[in-house]
Amino acid sequence: MSLTKITDKAGLHRHLEAAIQLEHATIPPYLNALYSIRPGANTEAFHILRAVAVEEMLHLTLAANILNAVGGTPDLTVPGFVPLYPAYLPDGETDFQVDCQAFSRAAIETFLKIERPAEGATPGVDTIHKGRKRAHHNGHKRHGTAVRARHVPGHEEEHFYSIGEFYQAIEEGLERLHAEMGDALFSGDPARQIGPEYYYSAGGGLMAVTDLASAKAAIRLISEQGEGVTDNIFDYEGEIAHYYRFEQLLLGRYYQKGDARGRPTGREVAVDWDAVFPIKANARLSDFPEGSALRQGAEDFNRAYGDFLALLTRAFQGEPAMFVEAVGGMFQLKELYYQIMRQPLGDGTHAAPTYEISHG
Amino acid sequence: MADMLDGFLALSEALTGFTGQRLRGTGQAEAYLATATGIVGEGVMRDLLLAAAEARASSGGDTEKHEAELRRLVMSDDRLGPVARNIIRMWYVGSWYQLPKPWREAHGQSPRDHDHVVSPISYTEGLLWPAIGANPAGAKPAGYGMWAMPPRIAPG
Repeated sequence: MSLTKITDKAGLHRHLEAAIQLEHATIPPYLNALYSIRPGANTEAFHILRAVAVEEMLHLTLAANILNAVGGTPDLTVPGFVPLYPAYLPDGETDFQVDCQAFSRAAIETFLKIERPAEGATPGVDTIHKGRKRAHHNGHKRHGTAVRARHVPGHEEEHFYSIGEFYQAIEEGLERLHAEMGDALFSGDPARQIGPEYYYSAGGGLMAVTDLASAKAAIRLISEQGEGVTDNIFDYEGEIAHYYRFEQLLLGRYYQKGDARGRPTGREVAVDWDAVFPIKANARLSDFPEGSALRQGAEDFNRAYGDFLALLTRAFQGEPAMFVEAVGGMFQLKELYYQIMRQPLGDGTHAAPTYEISHG
Repeated sequence: MADMLDGFLALSEALTGFTGQRLRGTGQAEAYLATATGIVGEGVMRDLLLAAAEARASSGGDTEKHEAELRRLVMSDDRLGPVARNIIRMWYVGSWYQLPKPWREAHGQSPRDHDHVVSPISYTEGLLWPAIGANPAGAKPAGYGMWAMPPRIAPG
Protein backbone atom coordinates (compact mmCIF):
# COMPACT_ATOMS: atom_id res chain seq x y z
CA MET A 1 0.00 0.00 0.00
CA SER A 2 1.03 3.53 -0.63
CA LEU A 3 -0.99 6.42 0.57
CA THR A 4 -0.08 9.97 -0.28
CA LYS A 5 -1.68 13.22 0.79
CA ILE A 6 -5.25 13.56 -0.43
CA THR A 7 -5.34 16.00 -3.35
CA ASP A 8 -8.17 14.60 -5.45
CA LYS A 9 -11.20 12.37 -5.28
CA ALA A 10 -9.24 9.29 -6.29
CA GLY A 11 -6.89 9.88 -3.38
CA LEU A 12 -9.84 10.25 -1.05
CA HIS A 13 -11.26 6.97 -2.34
CA ARG A 14 -7.93 5.23 -1.72
CA HIS A 15 -7.86 6.48 1.85
CA LEU A 16 -11.41 5.35 2.51
CA GLU A 17 -10.73 1.95 0.93
CA ALA A 18 -7.76 1.71 3.28
CA ALA A 19 -10.01 2.76 6.17
CA ILE A 20 -12.45 -0.06 5.44
CA GLN A 21 -9.58 -2.49 5.19
CA LEU A 22 -8.09 -1.12 8.40
CA GLU A 23 -11.31 -1.47 10.36
CA HIS A 24 -11.71 -5.00 9.10
CA ALA A 25 -8.07 -5.92 9.82
CA THR A 26 -8.72 -5.46 13.53
CA ILE A 27 -11.67 -7.84 13.56
CA PRO A 28 -9.96 -11.25 13.10
CA PRO A 29 -7.46 -10.57 15.94
CA TYR A 30 -10.25 -9.35 18.21
CA LEU A 31 -12.54 -12.27 17.41
CA ASN A 32 -9.77 -14.86 17.77
CA ALA A 33 -9.01 -13.51 21.23
CA LEU A 34 -12.70 -13.22 22.09
CA TYR A 35 -13.69 -16.73 21.14
CA SER A 36 -10.53 -18.29 22.55
CA ILE A 37 -11.97 -17.47 25.98
CA ARG A 38 -13.54 -20.68 27.24
CA PRO A 39 -17.32 -20.33 27.13
CA GLY A 40 -18.55 -19.20 30.52
CA ALA A 41 -15.16 -18.01 31.79
CA ASN A 42 -13.80 -14.47 31.92
CA THR A 43 -17.19 -12.90 31.37
CA GLU A 44 -15.93 -9.36 31.99
CA ALA A 45 -13.05 -9.67 29.54
CA PHE A 46 -15.39 -11.39 27.10
CA HIS A 47 -17.80 -8.48 27.17
CA ILE A 48 -15.07 -5.86 26.85
CA LEU A 49 -13.64 -7.62 23.79
CA ARG A 50 -17.04 -8.28 22.30
CA ALA A 51 -18.16 -4.66 22.63
CA VAL A 52 -14.98 -3.46 20.92
CA ALA A 53 -15.28 -5.98 18.08
CA VAL A 54 -18.90 -4.97 17.48
CA GLU A 55 -17.88 -1.31 17.37
CA GLU A 56 -15.15 -2.08 14.84
CA MET A 57 -17.91 -3.47 12.64
CA LEU A 58 -19.81 -0.24 13.16
CA HIS A 59 -16.68 1.69 12.13
CA LEU A 60 -16.26 -0.48 9.06
CA THR A 61 -19.82 0.28 8.03
CA LEU A 62 -19.37 4.01 8.67
CA ALA A 63 -16.22 4.03 6.52
CA ALA A 64 -18.18 2.26 3.76
CA ASN A 65 -20.93 4.88 4.10
CA ILE A 66 -18.41 7.69 3.67
CA LEU A 67 -16.85 5.99 0.63
CA ASN A 68 -20.28 5.46 -0.90
CA ALA A 69 -21.19 9.09 -0.19
CA VAL A 70 -18.24 10.38 -2.22
CA GLY A 71 -18.97 8.09 -5.14
CA GLY A 72 -16.63 5.20 -4.33
CA THR A 73 -17.39 1.49 -4.32
CA PRO A 74 -16.66 -0.52 -1.19
CA ASP A 75 -15.44 -4.02 -2.05
CA LEU A 76 -14.43 -6.44 0.69
CA THR A 77 -13.75 -9.22 -1.78
CA VAL A 78 -10.71 -7.80 -3.59
CA PRO A 79 -7.62 -10.03 -3.35
CA GLY A 80 -5.54 -9.13 -0.32
CA PHE A 81 -8.40 -7.41 1.48
CA VAL A 82 -7.98 -9.79 4.41
CA PRO A 83 -4.36 -9.63 5.53
CA LEU A 84 -2.29 -12.69 6.31
CA TYR A 85 -1.43 -12.46 9.96
CA PRO A 86 0.93 -11.33 11.39
CA ALA A 87 0.16 -8.15 9.51
CA TYR A 88 0.90 -4.46 9.54
CA LEU A 89 -2.13 -2.20 9.78
CA PRO A 90 -3.15 -0.69 6.44
CA ASP A 91 -2.70 2.89 7.62
CA GLY A 92 1.06 2.61 7.52
CA GLU A 93 1.84 2.05 11.19
CA THR A 94 5.15 0.32 10.77
CA ASP A 95 6.46 -0.14 14.30
CA PHE A 96 4.35 -3.19 15.11
CA GLN A 97 2.59 -6.12 13.53
CA VAL A 98 -0.74 -7.55 14.57
CA ASP A 99 -0.96 -11.22 15.49
CA CYS A 100 -4.04 -13.38 15.50
CA GLN A 101 -3.65 -15.06 18.84
CA ALA A 102 -5.36 -16.34 21.97
CA PHE A 103 -6.61 -14.04 24.70
CA SER A 104 -3.44 -13.19 26.62
CA ARG A 105 -1.45 -10.28 27.96
CA ALA A 106 0.51 -10.20 24.69
CA ALA A 107 -2.72 -10.00 22.70
CA ILE A 108 -4.04 -7.12 24.80
CA GLU A 109 -0.72 -5.30 24.48
CA THR A 110 -1.06 -5.52 20.71
CA PHE A 111 -4.64 -4.27 20.94
CA LEU A 112 -3.39 -1.27 22.92
CA LYS A 113 -1.06 -0.46 20.04
CA ILE A 114 -3.93 -0.78 17.56
CA GLU A 115 -6.08 1.58 19.60
CA ARG A 116 -3.36 3.89 20.84
CA PRO A 117 -4.15 7.59 21.14
CA ALA A 118 -2.69 10.01 18.64
CA GLU A 119 0.92 10.99 18.92
CA GLY A 120 1.37 13.77 21.39
CA ALA A 121 -1.55 12.63 23.48
CA THR A 122 0.59 10.41 25.67
CA PRO A 123 3.51 12.40 27.04
CA GLY A 124 6.53 10.35 27.90
CA VAL A 125 5.80 7.53 25.48
CA ASP A 126 5.88 9.62 22.38
CA THR A 127 9.56 10.26 22.00
CA ILE A 128 10.28 6.59 21.46
CA HIS A 129 7.56 6.19 18.89
CA LYS A 130 8.45 9.44 17.16
CA GLY A 131 11.99 8.20 16.78
CA ARG A 132 10.76 4.96 15.28
CA LYS A 133 8.41 6.81 13.02
CA ARG A 134 11.22 8.93 11.63
CA ALA A 135 13.26 5.83 11.00
CA HIS A 136 10.45 4.48 8.86
CA HIS A 137 10.19 7.70 6.92
CA ASN A 138 13.86 7.42 6.03
CA GLY A 139 13.33 4.85 3.36
CA HIS A 140 12.43 1.90 5.58
CA LYS A 141 10.92 -0.79 3.39
CA ARG A 142 7.39 -1.68 4.32
CA HIS A 143 6.23 -5.28 4.27
CA GLY A 144 2.49 -4.83 4.56
CA THR A 145 0.41 -6.42 1.83
CA ALA A 146 -2.77 -4.70 2.90
CA VAL A 147 -4.26 -2.20 0.53
CA ARG A 148 -4.13 -2.51 -3.25
CA ALA A 149 -0.76 -1.18 -4.21
CA ARG A 150 -0.79 2.16 -5.94
CA HIS A 151 2.25 4.34 -5.87
CA VAL A 152 2.17 7.94 -6.97
CA PRO A 153 5.68 9.00 -7.95
CA GLY A 154 7.00 12.19 -6.50
CA HIS A 155 4.77 12.11 -3.46
CA GLU A 156 5.95 11.17 -0.03
CA GLU A 157 4.23 8.13 1.38
CA GLU A 158 2.03 8.77 4.35
CA HIS A 159 2.59 6.86 7.54
CA PHE A 160 0.36 7.41 10.50
CA TYR A 161 1.24 6.81 14.10
CA SER A 162 -2.35 6.06 15.05
CA ILE A 163 -5.71 5.31 13.54
CA GLY A 164 -6.97 8.61 14.92
CA GLU A 165 -4.39 10.55 12.90
CA PHE A 166 -5.24 8.53 9.81
CA TYR A 167 -8.86 9.62 10.10
CA GLN A 168 -7.76 13.17 10.75
CA ALA A 169 -6.01 13.13 7.38
CA ILE A 170 -9.20 11.84 5.78
CA GLU A 171 -11.22 14.59 7.42
CA GLU A 172 -8.77 17.24 6.23
CA GLY A 173 -8.92 15.75 2.73
CA LEU A 174 -12.70 15.87 2.79
CA GLU A 175 -12.66 19.50 3.85
CA ARG A 176 -10.07 20.44 1.22
CA LEU A 177 -11.97 18.75 -1.59
CA HIS A 178 -15.28 20.14 -0.37
CA ALA A 179 -13.82 23.66 -0.45
CA GLU A 180 -12.82 23.04 -4.08
CA MET A 181 -15.81 21.11 -5.35
CA GLY A 182 -18.65 22.04 -3.02
CA ASP A 183 -21.42 19.52 -2.51
CA ALA A 184 -20.55 17.87 -5.83
CA LEU A 185 -18.06 15.94 -3.71
CA PHE A 186 -20.96 13.95 -2.28
CA SER A 187 -22.04 12.48 -5.59
CA GLY A 188 -22.86 9.02 -4.28
CA ASP A 189 -26.29 7.42 -4.44
CA PRO A 190 -27.95 7.99 -1.03
CA ALA A 191 -29.79 4.66 -1.48
CA ARG A 192 -26.45 2.92 -0.83
CA GLN A 193 -26.23 4.24 2.72
CA ILE A 194 -26.60 1.77 5.57
CA GLY A 195 -28.71 3.71 8.04
CA PRO A 196 -29.71 3.07 11.65
CA GLU A 197 -32.67 0.97 10.48
CA TYR A 198 -30.23 -1.83 9.61
CA TYR A 199 -28.14 -1.79 12.75
CA TYR A 200 -28.73 -2.69 16.33
CA SER A 201 -27.10 -3.59 19.60
CA ALA A 202 -23.97 -1.48 19.63
CA GLY A 203 -22.73 1.63 21.32
CA GLY A 204 -23.16 4.65 19.11
CA GLY A 205 -25.50 4.77 16.19
CA LEU A 206 -25.03 4.08 12.55
CA MET A 207 -25.61 7.18 10.45
CA ALA A 208 -26.17 7.81 6.79
CA VAL A 209 -23.50 10.02 5.21
CA THR A 210 -24.74 12.49 2.63
CA ASP A 211 -22.78 15.70 3.19
CA LEU A 212 -19.73 17.15 4.88
CA ALA A 213 -21.42 17.48 8.27
CA SER A 214 -22.53 13.84 8.40
CA ALA A 215 -19.14 12.66 7.08
CA LYS A 216 -17.38 14.56 9.84
CA ALA A 217 -19.82 13.21 12.43
CA ALA A 218 -19.07 9.66 11.27
CA ILE A 219 -15.32 10.24 11.52
CA ARG A 220 -15.72 11.78 14.94
CA LEU A 221 -17.65 8.75 16.14
CA ILE A 222 -14.99 6.35 14.82
CA SER A 223 -12.11 8.31 16.33
CA GLU A 224 -13.66 8.92 19.71
CA GLN A 225 -14.94 5.38 20.16
CA GLY A 226 -11.65 3.88 19.19
CA GLU A 227 -8.53 5.52 20.25
CA GLY A 228 -9.42 9.12 20.58
CA VAL A 229 -7.44 11.97 19.09
CA THR A 230 -7.47 13.67 22.44
CA ASP A 231 -6.23 12.37 25.74
CA ASN A 232 -9.67 11.74 27.16
CA ILE A 233 -10.46 8.38 28.67
CA PHE A 234 -14.17 8.97 28.23
CA ASP A 235 -15.64 10.58 25.11
CA TYR A 236 -18.24 13.33 24.95
CA GLU A 237 -21.00 10.75 25.35
CA GLY A 238 -19.39 9.34 28.47
CA GLU A 239 -18.28 6.18 26.69
CA ILE A 240 -14.85 4.80 27.46
CA ALA A 241 -12.47 4.59 24.47
CA HIS A 242 -11.25 1.18 23.30
CA TYR A 243 -7.68 1.86 24.35
CA TYR A 244 -8.66 2.39 27.96
CA ARG A 245 -11.11 -0.52 27.94
CA PHE A 246 -8.27 -2.85 27.03
CA GLU A 247 -5.90 -1.21 29.48
CA GLN A 248 -8.35 -2.10 32.27
CA LEU A 249 -7.71 -5.79 31.57
CA LEU A 250 -3.95 -5.40 31.98
CA LEU A 251 -4.26 -3.17 35.04
CA GLY A 252 -6.97 -5.36 36.58
CA ARG A 253 -9.20 -2.44 37.47
CA TYR A 254 -11.97 -0.38 35.86
CA TYR A 255 -11.65 3.29 35.06
CA GLN A 256 -14.15 5.69 36.49
CA LYS A 257 -14.82 9.34 35.74
CA GLY A 258 -12.06 11.61 36.92
CA ASP A 259 -9.30 8.99 36.79
CA ALA A 260 -5.89 9.81 35.39
CA ARG A 261 -4.58 7.70 32.54
CA GLY A 262 -2.84 4.55 33.68
CA ARG A 263 -4.36 4.85 37.17
CA PRO A 264 -7.89 3.46 37.20
CA THR A 265 -9.59 3.55 40.59
CA GLY A 266 -12.83 1.67 39.88
CA ARG A 267 -13.62 -1.84 41.03
CA GLU A 268 -11.39 -4.78 40.18
CA VAL A 269 -11.63 -6.61 36.86
CA ALA A 270 -11.24 -10.33 37.41
CA VAL A 271 -9.19 -11.84 34.59
CA ASP A 272 -8.31 -15.53 34.35
CA TRP A 273 -5.58 -15.63 31.72
CA ASP A 274 -5.63 -19.45 31.83
CA ALA A 275 -9.32 -20.03 31.05
CA VAL A 276 -8.49 -19.91 27.37
CA PHE A 277 -8.20 -22.35 24.47
CA PRO A 278 -4.46 -22.20 23.71
CA ILE A 279 -5.05 -21.52 20.02
CA LYS A 280 -2.11 -21.46 17.66
CA ALA A 281 -1.00 -17.92 16.84
CA ASN A 282 -1.35 -16.90 13.18
CA ALA A 283 -2.47 -20.40 12.16
CA ARG A 284 -2.37 -21.35 8.48
CA LEU A 285 -4.16 -24.09 6.58
CA SER A 286 -0.79 -25.75 6.11
CA ASP A 287 -0.71 -26.34 9.89
CA PHE A 288 -3.49 -28.89 9.43
CA PRO A 289 -2.79 -32.16 7.59
CA GLU A 290 -4.16 -32.19 4.07
CA GLY A 291 -7.28 -34.31 3.77
CA SER A 292 -7.93 -34.26 7.51
CA ALA A 293 -11.31 -33.38 8.93
CA LEU A 294 -9.63 -30.51 10.75
CA ARG A 295 -8.31 -29.10 7.47
CA GLN A 296 -11.80 -29.43 6.05
CA GLY A 297 -13.22 -27.57 9.05
CA ALA A 298 -10.70 -24.74 8.65
CA GLU A 299 -11.47 -24.50 4.93
CA ASP A 300 -15.19 -24.45 5.69
CA PHE A 301 -14.58 -21.57 8.07
CA ASN A 302 -12.64 -19.60 5.47
CA ARG A 303 -15.40 -20.16 2.95
CA ALA A 304 -18.04 -19.02 5.45
CA TYR A 305 -15.95 -15.95 6.33
CA GLY A 306 -15.52 -15.15 2.63
CA ASP A 307 -19.28 -15.49 2.16
CA PHE A 308 -19.78 -13.07 5.02
CA LEU A 309 -17.50 -10.49 3.36
CA ALA A 310 -19.27 -11.03 0.03
CA LEU A 311 -22.63 -10.46 1.69
CA LEU A 312 -21.35 -7.24 3.31
CA THR A 313 -20.06 -6.12 -0.08
CA ARG A 314 -23.52 -6.62 -1.60
CA ALA A 315 -25.00 -4.63 1.28
CA PHE A 316 -22.51 -1.80 0.60
CA GLN A 317 -23.04 -1.91 -3.17
CA GLY A 318 -26.71 -1.09 -3.29
CA GLU A 319 -28.54 -3.83 -1.38
CA PRO A 320 -28.58 -2.40 2.15
CA ALA A 321 -31.17 -4.96 3.26
CA MET A 322 -28.46 -7.64 2.94
CA PHE A 323 -26.79 -6.01 5.93
CA VAL A 324 -29.21 -7.70 8.32
CA GLU A 325 -28.35 -11.09 6.88
CA ALA A 326 -24.61 -10.35 6.98
CA VAL A 327 -24.79 -9.49 10.67
CA GLY A 328 -26.79 -12.69 11.22
CA GLY A 329 -23.94 -14.52 9.52
CA MET A 330 -21.65 -13.40 12.34
CA PHE A 331 -23.69 -15.49 14.77
CA GLN A 332 -23.20 -18.53 12.58
CA LEU A 333 -19.48 -17.83 12.36
CA LYS A 334 -19.30 -17.78 16.15
CA GLU A 335 -20.26 -21.47 16.22
CA LEU A 336 -17.56 -22.26 13.66
CA TYR A 337 -14.99 -20.41 15.77
CA TYR A 338 -15.80 -22.59 18.75
CA GLN A 339 -15.82 -25.79 16.72
CA ILE A 340 -12.32 -25.06 15.44
CA MET A 341 -10.84 -23.70 18.65
CA ARG A 342 -11.87 -26.78 20.65
CA GLN A 343 -9.59 -28.98 18.51
CA PRO A 344 -6.23 -29.83 20.08
CA LEU A 345 -3.42 -30.07 17.53
CA GLY A 346 -1.39 -32.46 19.65
CA ASP A 347 1.47 -30.01 20.30
CA GLY A 348 -0.19 -28.25 23.21
CA THR A 349 -1.94 -25.74 20.99
CA HIS A 350 -5.42 -25.74 19.53
CA ALA A 351 -6.57 -25.05 16.00
CA ALA A 352 -7.68 -21.57 14.95
CA PRO A 353 -9.25 -19.93 11.91
CA THR A 354 -6.64 -19.01 9.30
CA TYR A 355 -8.47 -16.27 7.34
CA GLU A 356 -6.92 -17.41 4.07
CA ILE A 357 -9.82 -16.16 2.01
CA SER A 358 -10.23 -16.55 -1.73
CA HIS A 359 -13.26 -15.36 -3.60
CA GLY A 360 -14.09 -17.69 -6.44
CA MET B 1 -8.28 -41.77 30.61
CA ALA B 2 -6.56 -39.56 28.07
CA ASP B 3 -5.29 -42.65 26.26
CA MET B 4 -8.90 -43.74 25.69
CA LEU B 5 -9.99 -40.49 24.03
CA ASP B 6 -8.90 -41.36 20.49
CA GLY B 7 -10.64 -44.72 20.67
CA PHE B 8 -13.71 -43.10 22.16
CA LEU B 9 -13.82 -40.58 19.30
CA ALA B 10 -13.38 -43.34 16.70
CA LEU B 11 -16.24 -45.29 18.27
CA SER B 12 -18.34 -42.14 18.50
CA GLU B 13 -17.80 -41.36 14.80
CA ALA B 14 -19.22 -44.77 13.95
CA LEU B 15 -22.09 -44.45 16.43
CA THR B 16 -23.17 -40.92 15.47
CA GLY B 17 -22.25 -40.51 11.81
CA PHE B 18 -20.46 -37.22 12.54
CA THR B 19 -16.74 -36.66 11.92
CA GLY B 20 -14.30 -36.67 14.79
CA GLN B 21 -13.59 -33.02 14.01
CA ARG B 22 -17.26 -32.13 14.39
CA LEU B 23 -17.50 -34.20 17.57
CA ARG B 24 -14.50 -32.45 19.14
CA GLY B 25 -16.02 -29.18 17.99
CA THR B 26 -18.81 -29.63 20.51
CA GLY B 27 -16.24 -29.45 23.30
CA GLN B 28 -17.97 -32.37 25.01
CA ALA B 29 -15.80 -35.40 24.11
CA GLU B 30 -13.86 -35.49 27.38
CA ALA B 31 -16.99 -34.94 29.45
CA TYR B 32 -18.89 -37.76 27.74
CA LEU B 33 -15.98 -40.18 28.05
CA ALA B 34 -15.55 -39.30 31.72
CA THR B 35 -19.28 -39.60 32.42
CA ALA B 36 -19.63 -43.00 30.78
CA THR B 37 -16.41 -44.35 32.27
CA GLY B 38 -17.28 -43.06 35.72
CA ILE B 39 -20.58 -44.97 35.63
CA VAL B 40 -19.78 -48.24 33.86
CA GLY B 41 -16.19 -48.50 35.07
CA GLU B 42 -12.93 -48.47 33.19
CA GLY B 43 -13.04 -52.22 32.50
CA VAL B 44 -16.29 -52.05 30.56
CA MET B 45 -15.17 -48.92 28.71
CA ARG B 46 -11.87 -50.49 27.65
CA ASP B 47 -13.68 -53.62 26.45
CA LEU B 48 -16.10 -51.44 24.50
CA LEU B 49 -13.29 -49.55 22.79
CA LEU B 50 -11.45 -52.83 22.04
CA ALA B 51 -14.57 -54.33 20.45
CA ALA B 52 -15.06 -51.17 18.40
CA ALA B 53 -11.43 -51.26 17.27
CA GLU B 54 -11.86 -54.89 16.26
CA ALA B 55 -14.96 -54.00 14.23
CA ARG B 56 -13.02 -51.25 12.46
CA ALA B 57 -10.00 -53.43 11.80
CA SER B 58 -11.92 -56.41 10.46
CA SER B 59 -13.95 -54.31 8.02
CA GLY B 60 -10.89 -53.00 6.18
CA GLY B 61 -12.49 -49.63 5.44
CA ASP B 62 -15.72 -51.10 4.05
CA THR B 63 -18.47 -48.97 5.59
CA GLU B 64 -21.22 -51.59 5.31
CA LYS B 65 -19.04 -54.29 6.77
CA HIS B 66 -17.95 -51.96 9.54
CA GLU B 67 -21.57 -51.32 10.47
CA ALA B 68 -22.38 -55.04 10.42
CA GLU B 69 -19.37 -55.83 12.62
CA LEU B 70 -20.27 -53.04 14.99
CA ARG B 71 -23.77 -54.45 15.33
CA ARG B 72 -22.39 -57.93 15.93
CA LEU B 73 -19.56 -57.10 18.32
CA VAL B 74 -20.97 -54.06 20.14
CA MET B 75 -24.64 -53.31 19.71
CA SER B 76 -25.91 -56.86 20.22
CA ASP B 77 -23.58 -57.53 23.12
CA ASP B 78 -25.51 -57.60 26.43
CA ARG B 79 -22.73 -55.84 28.31
CA LEU B 80 -21.48 -53.35 25.68
CA GLY B 81 -24.61 -52.61 23.64
CA PRO B 82 -26.55 -50.60 26.25
CA VAL B 83 -23.45 -48.54 27.01
CA ALA B 84 -22.96 -47.76 23.30
CA ARG B 85 -26.62 -46.74 23.05
CA ASN B 86 -26.18 -44.42 26.01
CA ILE B 87 -23.14 -42.86 24.33
CA ILE B 88 -25.28 -42.15 21.25
CA ARG B 89 -27.86 -40.49 23.48
CA MET B 90 -25.22 -38.29 25.13
CA TRP B 91 -23.90 -37.08 21.78
CA TYR B 92 -27.35 -36.31 20.44
CA VAL B 93 -29.13 -34.77 23.42
CA GLY B 94 -26.35 -34.12 25.93
CA SER B 95 -27.82 -36.24 28.72
CA TRP B 96 -26.92 -39.53 30.38
CA TYR B 97 -29.91 -41.84 30.85
CA GLN B 98 -30.00 -44.55 33.48
CA LEU B 99 -28.91 -47.91 32.06
CA PRO B 100 -31.61 -50.61 31.65
CA LYS B 101 -32.50 -52.62 34.74
CA PRO B 102 -31.14 -55.95 33.37
CA TRP B 103 -27.77 -54.29 32.73
CA ARG B 104 -27.61 -52.84 36.23
CA GLU B 105 -28.51 -56.17 37.78
CA ALA B 106 -25.97 -58.07 35.72
CA HIS B 107 -23.05 -55.64 35.63
CA GLY B 108 -23.27 -53.51 38.73
CA GLN B 109 -24.92 -50.31 39.85
CA SER B 110 -23.32 -46.90 40.11
CA PRO B 111 -24.68 -44.12 42.32
CA ARG B 112 -24.09 -41.78 39.38
CA ASP B 113 -26.23 -43.86 37.01
CA HIS B 114 -29.29 -41.67 36.98
CA ASP B 115 -30.75 -39.37 34.32
CA HIS B 116 -28.75 -36.16 34.19
CA VAL B 117 -27.52 -33.44 31.87
CA VAL B 118 -23.79 -33.90 31.40
CA SER B 119 -22.66 -30.25 31.26
CA PRO B 120 -24.15 -26.76 31.08
CA ILE B 121 -23.65 -26.67 27.30
CA SER B 122 -24.13 -30.34 26.40
CA TYR B 123 -27.77 -29.86 25.45
CA THR B 124 -27.17 -26.93 23.10
CA GLU B 125 -24.11 -28.73 21.69
CA GLY B 126 -26.21 -31.85 21.07
CA LEU B 127 -25.95 -33.35 17.60
CA LEU B 128 -29.71 -33.45 17.27
CA TRP B 129 -29.62 -29.79 16.24
CA PRO B 130 -27.36 -30.09 13.21
CA ALA B 131 -29.04 -33.42 12.44
CA ILE B 132 -32.46 -31.79 12.08
CA GLY B 133 -31.11 -28.56 10.59
CA ALA B 134 -32.22 -26.26 13.37
CA ASN B 135 -30.73 -24.10 16.07
CA PRO B 136 -31.32 -25.14 19.69
CA ALA B 137 -34.42 -23.42 20.98
CA GLY B 138 -33.61 -20.50 23.22
CA ALA B 139 -29.86 -20.77 22.61
CA LYS B 140 -27.38 -19.79 19.90
CA PRO B 141 -29.42 -16.79 18.75
CA ALA B 142 -29.13 -16.18 15.02
CA GLY B 143 -29.36 -12.39 15.15
CA TYR B 144 -32.05 -9.77 14.83
CA GLY B 145 -34.52 -10.36 12.02
CA MET B 146 -33.01 -13.70 11.05
CA TRP B 147 -36.28 -15.42 11.97
CA ALA B 148 -37.61 -14.13 8.67
CA MET B 149 -35.05 -16.23 6.79
CA PRO B 150 -34.45 -19.96 6.45
CA PRO B 151 -32.30 -21.35 9.28
CA ARG B 152 -28.60 -21.30 8.57
CA ILE B 153 -26.92 -24.13 10.36
CA ALA B 154 -23.19 -24.52 10.71
CA PRO B 155 -22.04 -27.35 8.44
CA GLY B 156 -22.10 -30.71 10.18
